[in-house]
Formats: sequence, structure tokens, C-alpha cells
Amino acid sequence: MSLTVIDRRSLLLGTLAFVGAAYQSKALASAADRDIAYVATARKGMKNYCVLLLRVDGSIVREVPLTARGHDIAYHRPSGRVAVFARRPGVFGVAFDIDKATPPHVFTPGKDRHYYGHGGFSQDGRLLYTSEADVESEIGLIGIYDVARGYKKIGEHQSYGIGPHEIMLLADGKTIAVGNGGLDTVPDAGRENLNVDTMEPSLAFVDAESGKLVAKHAMTGDLKSLSIRHVTQDKTGLIWFGGQWEGSPSETPQIVGSAGLDRELKLVDAPGGGKGLRGYIGAMAVSNDGRFIAASAPKAGHVLYVDSETGAVVGKSDLKDVCGLSSEGEHNFAASSGFGVIRYETAQARVVSEHTLQNIAFDNHLRRIA
Amino acid sequence: MNATMKVLLSFLITLTLTTAAMSANAPPSHLELTRTAIDTHIIPHIDALKSAADALPPAVEAVCKTGSEEARRTLDEKFAAAVTAYAGIDFLRFGPMLENGRREQISFWPDPRGFVARQLRMILLNKDAKLGEPGALAKQSAAVQGLPALEFLMRDSEVPLGPTEPAQFRCVMAQAIAHNIVRVVGEVSDGWEKPGGWKDKMLSPGPDNDTYRNENESAVEIVKAFLIGISLTADLQLKPQVDTKIRLSPPYNKSGLQKQVYAASIASLRQLYDAMHLEAYLKPDMAWMKGWSQGTWRTIESIDGAGGRASHAQRKDTPTSREVFDRMNGLRNIVANRLATAAGLTVGFNELDGD
Repeated sequence: MSLTVIDRRSLLLGTLAFVGAAYQSKALASAADRDIAYVATARKGMKNYCVLLLRVDGSIVREVPLTARGHDIAYHRPSGRVAVFARRPGVFGVAFDIDKATPPHVFTPGKDRHYYGHGGFSQDGRLLYTSEADVESEIGLIGIYDVARGYKKIGEHQSYGIGPHEIMLLADGKTIAVGNGGLDTVPDAGRENLNVDTMEPSLAFVDAESGKLVAKHAMTGDLKSLSIRHVTQDKTGLIWFGGQWEGSPSETPQIVGSAGLDRELKLVDAPGGGKGLRGYIGAMAVSNDGRFIAASAPKAGHVLYVDSETGAVVGKSDLKDVCGLSSEGEHNFAASSGFGVIRYETAQARVVSEHTLQNIAFDNHLRRIA
Repeated sequence: MNATMKVLLSFLITLTLTTAAMSANAPPSHLELTRTAIDTHIIPHIDALKSAADALPPAVEAVCKTGSEEARRTLDEKFAAAVTAYAGIDFLRFGPMLENGRREQISFWPDPRGFVARQLRMILLNKDAKLGEPGALAKQSAAVQGLPALEFLMRDSEVPLGPTEPAQFRCVMAQAIAHNIVRVVGEVSDGWEKPGGWKDKMLSPGPDNDTYRNENESAVEIVKAFLIGISLTADLQLKPQVDTKIRLSPPYNKSGLQKQVYAASIASLRQLYDAMHLEAYLKPDMAWMKGWSQGTWRTIESIDGAGGRASHAQRKDTPTSREVFDRMNGLRNIVANRLATAAGLTVGFNELDGD
């Protein structure tokens, strides 16, 4: 692995990513910064991409321009660190402190690597983990970055599958859950999936320190085309996942489910099945009390709510192009859409309030800060 | 008259009749938009591909039986016709094309990892005669089932197809591939055109329809296909010329069909753009977009897709690939965020593709 050679294009993208994002000392951090409730990636106007730091009412506190489309956001609450990742198969990441106490860092995955748009901090905030690919070998990787050294890449683990998408450090602080989508992409071929007929998706559990495989649930049989992409964890430690169906639309199975380190995979019996969700879950979230699970289906324009205690669907809301999800309060959720809507609703799909930002299209993910 | 000319003629006749049926400047209803797109664009293009695919097995057979130059020329022509016909529908990535991975089975491209060559070499090494039996190839990887696999066998100068002993198994494979293409294209055609097929599904939206709940959703599907087509052409055909660091072979490069594929892609997209009639929805203060769009199409059509000038270019100067690439992205943005919006057809930012 080469950690010193940085692709010129990556560096350029990353450097430009923070044009206009002024650094200021902690003392200068304004009162407005303390109002920040959410961070989201977004498109502004027709073609300008950015990271938005938002108040609860949806108003923008700060905006950080990006030169290309971002995807998910990792947040380390104790330190206030935020990292944003380029969308698959992008090659830049940017990290900054929510209170602007330190200058932003731009990092790249290194030669012959690309990101899949997701990552997460270690519990102590010293390390950042990202989902990556080795372009030449197709091998899925978990990149490891040293925060104190300016997000320098210091190592890699295997993800034990092709096309790792969302990765999540579990509550035990030592296991990383990986949604291995199974899809092979190469930056030179854009976003084309190259191995749909031979894909082998899985949900893998990897030891964060040693990189050893702890457990793995492979999608086989009728589920072999279910690309596992997004994950979240409930209060009992169970992992809930949302998939993207790559097989025949007429054969779409259920696409939301759960599994544990020592518990077999189980699918949620959603009314209308996976076909009613148009075969695609764009994001997953858990309520702050750890009980309710939310899964967004942007192609269908629905959010599905599941009670993790019973495994039953307890609500389904309608919001066109909804994708970003985050917890709100103890039991509720915030959902964002490609039409600039931020909506708060209960797990029973009752709308609490809604705000619309003009000229903003929220991207796939939304992260709660406050 | 070749397949492309037939599609063009069919398109012009049907579009003229359809347009005449509507008042001159009235925007079509969403259902009319969908119907026009299906009748004047989708079905004629699929029919053209079916006809082009049907011509492949006899052309392969003639080469394998005679090995004559005439038979080789005929196969080259039929192959080029099938490739360009396919380029006209590559972006219709919904409905019957999505079932059973048919798109990849017909045209496994892009192929940056060289799956086609790698897997075909293994098959040629093993010489399993059972692969020549009806239906056997359908169980193999998509990479060895379609047009790129046939091209690989046609362009291998070391063992050319023909009535020779070394080429015997290659001819078995070439025949199997040609028949497989006919089968898959036939399934696509049937999926669209049979009673109760995808055409009927798109034209009968409603609460009982498991895919399209209303006329808006059917029409949005058409707009999405256009946007995907523009993105695919820009990213896979032009971007490698703009960014020299990208290593991606042009489509059907072994057969020298890069320019034909570009021309067929653009011609098909232009026809779909015209068939959607989205400009009719624009209010007077947005009329400038019509001029911009027409200028953009002239620019896009003025290059040959391989760094040169198109023979039918209408622009006096030859635009660079960079300009055309940027114009395509601009057109995509205008259609997604202005024209479709004016038509009440909102295409979501997140729903356009998964991630």
C-alpha cells in the first residue's frame, strides 16, 4: 500500500473542497455555531455541492463548498470532529471541527483506492475508519486514518467482501459492522456496476484493532442480488440493514432486515414488500432511545419505521425523494429530501413539523450533531 | 435502408402524425408524453434492434461455413448494425431491460477489468461442446453472452472464424452467442410489446399498477431514461477523451465502431428529447432555454465522438470534447431542473440512482 503517493486529481479535488471555508480560532466561534443541530451534504442550485450545517428549524448556520458530490458524514461528539466523504467512487474526504477551532483537513485514500462515501470515528476519536476499494484487485477495505496526524492514512483492514458501503463502529467500541454491497466499481468506468451477475453481498463484522473477521452473513439463494448498503444498531446491539436490489425487479424480496454477531439474518415483513419500496433503501437510522428503526426509500418516496422490540413495521410515511435520516429527541426522527425538505416525524409516521429550504437538494445522508 | 434509417423514418412519420394530432404549441399531457415516447422512440428502436439481432446468426453461419471475404464483410455490417441499434436503447434501463440482467447479457460494456476476454479465453481453453446447446450459454456469465463476446471472436486475427479445424469450437461459440443475443433481445421486445407488457403498464397507471401509480410517474420514467442516457454518453464516451488519466477503451473499439456508437447514442437521445416535447411547457420568460438547447444539440452533434468533426456538423467550428462534455452536463441540468420541472415532472436528486 502506498500512503505517500497521492493522486493529483484527489489532491486537487480535496484542496478545492475547502475554498471559502474560513478557519477561525475557537475564541471567534460565534453563538450561531452552537445552534448547529444537523450536518448534511447537499446540492445548492443546479450544480454546486456543499456541506450544510443546520439549525433545528432547517436554517443554514454555515456552508462549506465541495467541488464534487459528497455523501455521508461521520461525527465524533466528544471532540466535535466532523468528516465528510466523497460519493462513490470519489477520492476525497474533508474533516473539520464543528466549532471551527482547527483548520479543515483534506485527505485521500491513496493510490489505486477510492471511497464509497461512508466512515466513522473510533470511540476515543483518535482514528477514522472509511469504506474503500482497492481498484486493481476489487478487494473491499476499511481505511484507517490518524486524526492527530492530520488524517494521515496509517493502515487498512479487509472488509471481507467487494464494495463495502456503510461501515459502523458498534457500541462495544471494538467491532465494525460492514455492509458489503458486493458491487464492483472502477472510477474510470464511472458508477457502472461491473459484476451484477456474480455479486456476493454480505454483512460482515470486523475486529477494529486486529482486522480479523468476527462474523459474516452472506446473501445467498434468493437474496444473492441484495446489495447490503446501510446499517444502524438498536439498543440490544442488533444490526439493522437496508439493501439495494440488483436482481429482476419482478423478484424483489424484502430489503430491510436485521442480524447479529451470533444471530441469523431476518427480514422485516414490510407491507408491499421490497417492490413497494422500489428495491432501494437510501439510509438507516435509530431513535435515540434505541428502539425504533427508520429506513428511507427515495425511489418510492417512503420512510419505513420498525419497532426493534417486535420486528414489526409501525409506520410508513410519504415524502418525495426522501433519503437523509437522523434521530430527533428520544423517539422521533428527522428526514431530509432532494427537494429541500426537512421533516420531523414520529415512528408512527405522524408529521410533527416540516421546513423547506429553497434552492437546496439534500443528499443521501443527514447527521445529528446536538 | 439500414436499421438506423428505418428508425429515423418511423420516428419522423409517427412524430409528425402525433404532433399534428396535438395543437401546435400545447404541451402534451403526461400520458401523451409517455405514449409519444413509447410509440415514436422506444418501440421503433427495440424493433430495429430485434431486426438487427435476427441478422446475426445467419451472418455468423456464413462465415463459419465459407470463410469468404464477402461473408466476413456481411458479418461486419450486421454486427455494426446490431451494435448501433443497441446504442440507441442502452439507456432504457428499466422494465424488460432490467429483468434477468438482460442489458449486461446483450452488451457487457464498459469492461475495464477485461472480463469478456478473460472468461472467453477460459471457455476456449476448456472447449466444452455443451455450451453450443440451446440455452446453455444463458447460464454462463453475462460477459460471454452478448455483442462484446461476439466481437472478441470476430476480431481474433490469430484464429479467425471460418471452416478451419482451429476455428471449429470458436464457431460453435459464435453461433451460440448470436442465437443468445436474438433470444435476449426477443425477450426485451416481448416484454415491451406483448398484451399487458411494459408499454401497457406505463400507459395504464393507477392504484392497481404495481409500478406506476399515476401518469406523472410513467412520464418521469421517460425523463429519467433520457437523463441517464445523457450521463452515460458524457461519462463513458466523452470523459475519457477529456481526462487523459482515465483508462477506458471506447465501446466496440476492436471493430472501430466508436464513432458509430456515439452517433447512434446522440441520435436516439435527440429523438427522445424531441418526442418528450418538454419545451412546450416553458413559460415565455424561460423561452431562452429553447435556443440554448438547440445550440447545445448542434454542438453535441458536431463532433464524431472520437476527437474529430462529424460529417453532418452544423457548427462552423469544431467544438472540443471538453465543450461537448460540459454542454451535455448543462443539458442534463436544464432538463432535470428546468424543463421537467416546468412540465410538473420532478425527478428527485436521490431517486435518480442508488447509493
